[in-house]
Amino acid sequence: MTARGGEAIPVKPPAAARDSFQGHYAGFASRFAAFVADLVVLTGVFMLVLAAINFAASILTGKSIDFNRSDTWVVIGYLAWGFVYFAHFWGLNGRTAGGALFGVQVLTDDGGDVSGRRAIGRTLAFPLSFLILGLGFLGILLGDQRRALHDVLAGTVVVYSWDARAARLRFLSRYSSPAPRLPGPPQPPG
Amino acid sequence: MDPLARLRAVRERLAPQMEATAQAIAERVITLVVDAVDLNAVLARVDLNAVLRRVNVEEEIDRIQINEVLARVDLNALLAQVDLNAVLRQVDLEEPIDRVDLNGLLDRVDVNQIVQQVDVNEMIAKVDLDAVLDRVDMNAIAQRIDVEALVEHTDLGAVIARSSSGIASDMFDAVRTRTVGIDEAIARWVARLRRRPYTGPPGPPAGLRAVARS
Repeated sequence: MTARGGEAIPVKPPAAARDSFQGHYAGFASRFAAFVADLVVLTGVFMLVLAAINFAASILTGKSIDFNRSDTWVVIGYLAWGFVYFAHFWGLNGRTAGGALFGVQVLTDDGGDVSGRRAIGRTLAFPLSFLILGLGFLGILLGDQRRALHDVLAGTVVVYSWDARAARLRFLSRYSSPAPRLPGPPQPPG
Repeated sequence: MDPLARLRAVRERLAPQMEATAQAIAERVITLVVDAVDLNAVLARVDLNAVLRRVNVEEEIDRIQINEVLARVDLNALLAQVDLNAVLRQVDLEEPIDRVDLNGLLDRVDVNQIVQQVDVNEMIAKVDLDAVLDRVDMNAIAQRIDVEALVEHTDLGAVIARSSSGIASDMFDAVRTRTVGIDEAIARWVARLRRRPYTGPPGPPAGLRAVARS
């Protein structure tokens, strides 16, 4: 394949992208990757907020606050922020930042939008899937609807929200051979 | 003198006049008959589908010197008499088209000659394109098109690339495509362990299916 305009050619999209999976239940890797991305985002934002508080305190009082990971208030604040982050975005449009990046979306089990109450329920049930030694996530691998324990409890599913086939066509259009062109008019010298 | 000689002379004198008269009468009669026949009414009474089913289309087409026939026909006059919409309503277009080797037929036809004879604008003006298109299964046609080859080898690809370019979308596509590939690999691996066939990701949920159908 020749790249248009001499662009570097990225890896070829896998054959899986020949079909559009939009609306189909999302698999383990996409969901896990989205969760990791969310952890990075919410931890980063939390640390920024702590740094801003520390900065403000040092200006106002002349003393810096030493936030420690084992500090109970830091842990409580982190958990509260995590709760707000997930509940807000799942209730807003079913998509957190990680979900948007990896193209997954939370819906109700019949395909509808997630209400605020259901989003809160899902966020509260989410730790249960971890607390039973991660067995709550087995449903994603083995279930027909790829639902984890917190999905079953909250009545939700996670689906692909992006069109893999459209992405493949975009890839082909950008990095494929252009159609042969007729010779143009002669260019004036210089 | 031969007694029949006079009769022969008379016959030879009258024969050309009689032939000319007979020719004139025949032409007049044919003209009157053609004018009197309502082609639309005749076509309306014919079950064209039944006729088409009984005809070995390929064999008949092979026997005809199409270009010679078409050169002798005044297509515009013929088409002016026909109610094309009524004819098209009667015909099951899919069936005869399926039976005809269109490529073989088109190889034999001098399309330029036909196009020069036909007033295309007038013909198109008479056809109810909406009604025709309503009967064509566009999805079936679209499925027969190799979209990927079209995008890959034509300037359509460049148009799409221009309309959807962006480093961010490229990055998203790459990341998502990669993780979907891993999803599929994991799912196939799990299905193999469970000795079940894997045919792709399950779903979508019933509500989404209904939205997609509507």
